[in-house]
Amino acid sequence: MYSTRETMANKEIGLIDILDVILDKGVALKADLVISIAGVDLVYLDLRLLIASVESLVQSKMEGRKTISSEEFDLEKEALIDATGQPDKWKN
Amino acid sequence: MGNLLYLYGLIPSKEAEQSLPALKDFDGNGDIYMIPVGKITAIVCNLDAENYSEEMLKERINNDMEWLQEKAFHHHETVLKLANLYTIVPLKFCTLYKNQDSLENAVIENEAKLLDTFGLIKGNEEWNLKIYCDDHLLKKQVGENNPTIEAKKEEISQLSKGKQFFEKKKLDKLIESELEAEKNKTSEKIHLQLKGLALRGDVKKAWSNDVTGRKEDMTWNSVYLIPKTKVESFLEEVRRYEKDMKEKGWKFEATGPWPAYHFTSF
Repeated sequence: MYSTRETMANKEIGLIDILDVILDKGVALKADLVISIAGVDLVYLDLRLLIASVESLVQSKMEGRKTISSEEFDLEKEALIDATGQPDKWKN
Repeated sequence: MGNLLYLYGLIPSKEAEQSLPALKDFDGNGDIYMIPVGKITAIVCNLDAENYSEEMLKERINNDMEWLQEKAFHHHETVLKLANLYTIVPLKFCTLYKNQDSLENAVIENEAKLLDTFGLIKGNEEWNLKIYCDDHLLKKQVGENNPTIEAKKEEISQLSKGKQFFEKKKLDKLIESELEAEKNKTSEKIHLQLKGLALRGDVKKAWSNDVTGRKEDMTWNSVYLIPKTKVESFLEEVRRYEKDMKEKGWKFEATGPWPAYHFTSF
């Protein structure tokens, strides 16, 4: 039998988890990634750019499945009725 | 223009006697190799300076998710393999040095700190915990069991229908803020208990749903440095929380062991 640790250690990990760890301050923070390159010892590469691209990746993924379920439809309908005031509510 | 050095990690030279496995470099053409700098050994690969200018990296990181994904996985997998063999201070993605001299100088300057860090991470593992919460389920409980909200509900039921509509909207807002407070309080309590099993524990920023792409909210994101002997109990504890709180809408996801990215710096 595998220990909990082994089971967890072999679990698949998503890109986002990896980016959160290997990028300087994680995906959710605006931070600078330190690179040392081409004659300048330390260059700060603004991570905001990177965060933007991670978020746009997620968004484009989400847009891919834009079919609306009947549940969502009902929710939106309810919200509309709510916003306009339920007609039968005012009858009393 | 010659070569840049891509730095994956730093290990104690004592451990460098164990030879490096054959691991492909960042470009997939050559191999990674070691550069000993006194008591510390750097694990690096060469990168063609012409192909890896600052502009090119920015451009790729900004506009080429496929590239970022491939290279981030490469970095992660390489450092993870190294972490299984050595006590390693892992470097962040795309840490580049313009030449061997600048790398060596950086290592020498930080030698004392690095040796301390090896002492800290040896025999310990870094684990990440993310706690998610189904607001819908929890909101129901907060709405039903919270005295402030109970009282408010009672008050509203006495009002005229027209006023009730607006007051109910306000009540929803109240439930919302009580919910956030409740989620934080619970997560923090769990964090403090888990921290008791760890050497160190830090709270990170939780991600928005845009980033996770999930319907549950991430309420907590934390990282722990745990002695290897205690990892099993730590994970059992997480599992116990998961079991006890699942029905109330809570989810716990632990990942690890990670190379000690969070608890080291260079």
